[in-house]
Amino acid sequence: MPAATVSKKRKNVKETGVSSSKRRVVAEENNGADVMADIVQLEEQIAESRKHYNNIAKLISMLNVDNGASDPNLAVAVSLCRVFSRLIAGGDLTETNGAAENEKLIAAWLKERCREYQKALSAILREGDASAQLTALTLCMRLVNERATHMPHEDTQVWLSGIFKNIIEAVVQAPEAEALRTEFLEKFAKQYEDVQYYTFLQIAEIAESTTAPKTLDTLITILSAIDSAPSQDHEYKTFYVKNSKKNKKLTSINSHKKRAQDAWLSVLRNPSITQSQRKTLLRIMVHNIEPWFSRPELLMDFLTDSYNVGGATSLLALSGLFYLIQEKNLDYPQFYRKLYSLLDASLLHSKHRSRFFRLMNTFLASTHLPSSLIASFIKRLARLALSAPPTAIVAIVPFIYNLLRNHPTCTFMLHREVRDAEFKALLDAEGMNDPYDWDEPDPTRTNAIESSLWEIQSLQHHYHPNVAAIARIISEQFTKLFYNLEDFLDYTYQGMVQAELGTEPKPMKRIPVIEYHIPKRIFTDRMLEEDGGVDTAPGSLVRGLWDFA
Amino acid sequence: MPPSQLKQLKASLRESGVIGQQQSKKQKQQNARTGAAAQNRIQRNAALQAIRDRFNPFEIKATSTRTKFDVTTRDGKAGPASGHARPGVTKSLGEERRRQTLLREMEKKNKVGGVVDRRFGEDDPTVTPEERAAERYARESQRKARKESMFNLEEDEEEFQLTHKGQSLLDVEQDDFQEGDLGEMDDMSDSETARKRKRFLEDDGEVDDMEGLADEEIVEPERKKSKHEVMKEVIAKSKFHKFERQKAKEDDDDIREELDKGLPDLFDMLRGVKPPTKPEPPKNDLTAMNPDRAALLDGTADMDAEKEYDQRLKQLTFDQRSKPTDRTKTEEEKAEEEAERLKNLEEERLRRMRGEEISEDEEESEAEEGSEMSEDESIPDDAMEFGLQQSSGQMDTRPELGVEDEDDFIIDDDLVETRSDVSLSLGESDEEESAAEESEEEEEEEEDELINGLTMPGNMTGEALGVADEQQTDEALAFTYPCPKDHEEFLQTVKDVPVQDLPVVIQRIRALHNHRLHPDNKMKLSRFAGILVQHVAYMAEQPEHPPFAILENILRHVHSLAKSHPESVAQAFRAHLREVSADRPLNLRPSDLVILTGIATLFPTSDHFHAVSTPAHLCLARYLGQGSVDTLADFATGAYVASLVLQYQARSKRFMPEFMNYVLNALCNLCPEEPKSSLGLFPARDPQEPLRLNVSKSLSVRKLQFWDVAGTDSSPKAQEELKLALINTFISLLNTSSDMWADSSAFFEIFAPAQNVLHYVKKSFKGKKAPAAVQDTLQSTLDKLDGHISKALLARRPLLLHGHRPLAIKQAIPKFEDSFNPDKHYDPNRERAEANRLKAEYKRERKGAMRELRKDANFIARENLREKKERDAEYEKKYKRLVADVQNEEGREANAYEKVKKMRQGKW
Repeated sequence: MPAATVSKKRKNVKETGVSSSKRRVVAEENNGADVMADIVQLEEQIAESRKHYNNIAKLISMLNVDNGASDPNLAVAVSLCRVFSRLIAGGDLTETNGAAENEKLIAAWLKERCREYQKALSAILREGDASAQLTALTLCMRLVNERATHMPHEDTQVWLSGIFKNIIEAVVQAPEAEALRTEFLEKFAKQYEDVQYYTFLQIAEIAESTTAPKTLDTLITILSAIDSAPSQDHEYKTFYVKNSKKNKKLTSINSHKKRAQDAWLSVLRNPSITQSQRKTLLRIMVHNIEPWFSRPELLMDFLTDSYNVGGATSLLALSGLFYLIQEKNLDYPQFYRKLYSLLDASLLHSKHRSRFFRLMNTFLASTHLPSSLIASFIKRLARLALSAPPTAIVAIVPFIYNLLRNHPTCTFMLHREVRDAEFKALLDAEGMNDPYDWDEPDPTRTNAIESSLWEIQSLQHHYHPNVAAIARIISEQFTKLFYNLEDFLDYTYQGMVQAELGTEPKPMKRIPVIEYHIPKRIFTDRMLEEDGGVDTAPGSLVRGLWDFA
Repeated sequence: MPPSQLKQLKASLRESGVIGQQQSKKQKQQNARTGAAAQNRIQRNAALQAIRDRFNPFEIKATSTRTKFDVTTRDGKAGPASGHARPGVTKSLGEERRRQTLLREMEKKNKVGGVVDRRFGEDDPTVTPEERAAERYARESQRKARKESMFNLEEDEEEFQLTHKGQSLLDVEQDDFQEGDLGEMDDMSDSETARKRKRFLEDDGEVDDMEGLADEEIVEPERKKSKHEVMKEVIAKSKFHKFERQKAKEDDDDIREELDKGLPDLFDMLRGVKPPTKPEPPKNDLTAMNPDRAALLDGTADMDAEKEYDQRLKQLTFDQRSKPTDRTKTEEEKAEEEAERLKNLEEERLRRMRGEEISEDEEESEAEEGSEMSEDESIPDDAMEFGLQQSSGQMDTRPELGVEDEDDFIIDDDLVETRSDVSLSLGESDEEESAAEESEEEEEEEEDELINGLTMPGNMTGEALGVADEQQTDEALAFTYPCPKDHEEFLQTVKDVPVQDLPVVIQRIRALHNHRLHPDNKMKLSRFAGILVQHVAYMAEQPEHPPFAILENILRHVHSLAKSHPESVAQAFRAHLREVSADRPLNLRPSDLVILTGIATLFPTSDHFHAVSTPAHLCLARYLGQGSVDTLADFATGAYVASLVLQYQARSKRFMPEFMNYVLNALCNLCPEEPKSSLGLFPARDPQEPLRLNVSKSLSVRKLQFWDVAGTDSSPKAQEELKLALINTFISLLNTSSDMWADSSAFFEIFAPAQNVLHYVKKSFKGKKAPAAVQDTLQSTLDKLDGHISKALLARRPLLLHGHRPLAIKQAIPKFEDSFNPDKHYDPNRERAEANRLKAEYKRERKGAMRELRKDANFIARENLREKKERDAEYEKKYKRLVADVQNEEGREANAYEKVKKMRQGKW
């Protein structure tokens, strides 16, 4: 076959061109050029005639991976790769039916050697240092390419069970192989769509079996690093192996999505998933995971489980769940009850606060919700605001304002005239207990609408002037249609302090007032006898509690 | 039907008297003699012209559109008058104007040079010749009267002296009157005129002599002077004048000096202070009685006496009426005034606490800020109106002027008084200025209280400092210190000074750089104030803890400086807060605590908004909300911060959620047993390793030490005692805060968790032998809480926040103008109206300009054509003349030829 030889020659020329530089590098590393020369000679002999096939065994033994692959001879690996590529391309490894007995024997022998070589390479992948790993990865992938191209019947087998499986396993399981992983992702998985496809396949398999949280971590990072889901009219063009094009599975979006979905699902279904992993997954849920899913309802179990965990996890699960409710008609029983229960002491101090408020804004936007439910939310938020940082209060009050604006029935919480004489007498005699029941889990039964928002009124005397000003909006006329909630989220103490102080000194617009009275004492009991021994001057509180010495 | 044109013409002719009865011959003759005929003719011509105009239908142009009904038309108001333009008249007017301007230009075009008449009023038709002449004369004389002429050698003053018989009229007057009378009569306040007059008086004799000489020369036989002599004379004259001027100048200086000498007396008198009695010369006594008589008595008509009199007189006119001085106030009155002042200041503070802004300038600046903001950000932001996006403190309070203080120092201003009473500056006479100065002095008096310890060392300083051994150390210190420029420099300065003496050093620096000593000192001191703030923080960080008496003293110094330099002190505090919030918002250091304590005393923390206390509040709250709670020192810091919070809010009683959260959480973490369930809505934050109290009998309750915040003592017993002290402090903080916020409508909601926690703490103490003091505080706090809670519940009513008067529904009734004028524009949008007006004006102007240009072009073309025609006509004429000449000549020649021919024929 002249065509084959021509191509082979061309490859040879190319490879020598490449290897000459490689050789130089390697030669410097290994002591002396003689080893190098040996390798080159052995390789050339193999290329020359079949007689020298035994050199392959010699080269494999030179690889230096029998006991631990920590210091492999990379030059040998490279030259072996060239040898095998050439052999595979020449069809020497395939057993043709009509071939002679000795031919078959040779092919079997070569196959055996090839397997040995692959094993060595995967050992390097797992145990070698970073540069060795990278080289091994490149070599492996080249072998994959050669095999898939020139051994048609082995096509899928290579990907599914053969060397590619080894690669993925090594990539996933090799300890401290960050470089290897990024190399694999950047050079192969992200670039070539067939590699991507089979990676999904392999990962799904691994994820089903593994229990180690570390491996799961790696799987999640790999999965989330791979490109986002393709759009409907995406065409698959870039393949690592040329004849993948003919494979229908590889060119259809649905099968790709199916693979990805399977991979994600197997990760999500893994029982040994940790809390933090769950949170990470929930955080990337909407942007990275959901798009891959042709049937998002498969996520339902995971999301509802997460939602039931409580705390921050529930907060994170909310958005995914909401997506399902909205788009996929998921029926989540007692959704609002659950949402209501999420409003607890830690909510306003958590960092997911603004995220939660955004979502809650959407959930409670409907004007068809019962007033009692809205009132419960309002009252609960108000109660929470009483122990909240100012950054949360500035979000809560406009939110409450919007709710009151949408549900005028709830304004009884702001203004309730007592007309019942009997009740009035009772009030005068006993005062008023808050009718709102904090411990009632059902937001429609808390009796909140009978209550009043004393909490917000108290916050009108907040120490921070801006917060106090915001709290005052509920006692003014509701002339504004609504407050844009987005403007009130995402404040921090640092930001507030900076708003007051600025980042660098600049002249003040107004001269600050100075206390007109210079106190007689600040820390000490100076001249106490003048005041008759009783300290009533400003600052006496601190002096009373603390001893300054 | 109107009569025919002819009839109308006849009627009007008859009316104007053009045609009428024939005059008799006699009458005609008489008229001709009196000249009435000519008059008549003129009248007749005018009348005829008027009639002609009236009857020429082309002179008057009617409006193109006929008038519509009055009610519907827009511009019917002008009536028939406006509809009759007189194009002929306007055209001829325009033509005339062009002829005057454009034609001139055309003629001047391409011509260089020429004489331009710049005389006033030339070519100005609006000025009548009389006005022109008067104005020219006025200008001329003005130019002559100008001062430069003094240095102009060519012009002589004699030129415009009025003379009588060759003698100056002034001289004549002088002869007639007493010189003194003259001086007395004209009231010359201006020194310049005084100078002039004086010159005349002084130089009199010499000038007369000279003139006499000159006269004689002139009188002598009229020998014509040689050119040489003339020149000599001129030079001599100019030299003489020069000398005269110099002399005049010297005299002026003398007078000025004399006047200056008298000035202090004058000012003394103006201020109502009796001038020091000077030993006056005896003859002045005479002049003081009556200058005229004195002059008579003196006989010599003493100039000095006159002058003296004049001066006195003038002084009297400027003298102020004596005013009643302020009565010395009694003690009660003073106390009352002081009380009033304090009351005002307190009211001011309350006003600021409520966040009211009354004064106008504030509103203005607020509005300015508003506009600024709206410019900055085009996207409307709801949060903005609450000041959430503002980058710097704005809703600030206004400056306070009454910087006084009753303090424990006696002020003796004379000791730092550096101004000598003798040196009088001119500005002092100014009424307002002196008033301002007085108030400033007043201010300084108060401020000086801290400085003056230095100037009278034996007296009050020891007490002031509260440092007993001040007297001894005093000697070891230098008396002068440079005013430092930054903190490093200050550290260099005080490197060798023992800590105890630091206040003395500061005092000396302040005294030495009192702003009365040098104008720069004000700036220096303001910088120094900032450095002191830094130094307080620096000192509090030192490992050997400086005595708080010193820190306190420095802070009081800062306070006193802050009264005069509020901005720089505030900036220093803000800088510190900025540093804290940038570097260690969650791990406050002792220095930060000292600075925050300083803020509590220096600035009114009750203000609704304050450039320093608001950020300080945020710093405290941030620490309480997020600060670390890992060690006992952390809790001690927290306890201190919590106490500061309560102190900050002692007056305004504002609520701080972080305070409650922190205190309750700390109690939960410190009490002997861990609570099994959540005790309230406060977020639970646990230390990394438990810091629970191990109750034992041996523990005694102590007061918390400030340096507990540094966490020094680590022995187990000390630790346990610290825990106990912390618990005790936290409970009493709760006690105080429950008093403070008792009026809050959500008191129950705020303090119910506190009640739970305290009950829990009590329970966890039960069975263990806790010190009685803690138990007591606990019990009393619980009792108080119970009382407050039941009271709060009893007082609670449903909210009635929306008893507002309902808002008026927006109406869309059109706005009617009573006197609507369709020509006017009633655009409510001012900017748009303005723009439209400008546009209309532009359009009108443009049209006008185009029309003018078109007419100009026509005019030019016409003129050119006319010129060309003229030229052509001239040429034609010339040509014709030449042709005629030639023909003439030829004719003659032909005739001559004919003649000759005939003659020849005749001969022959």
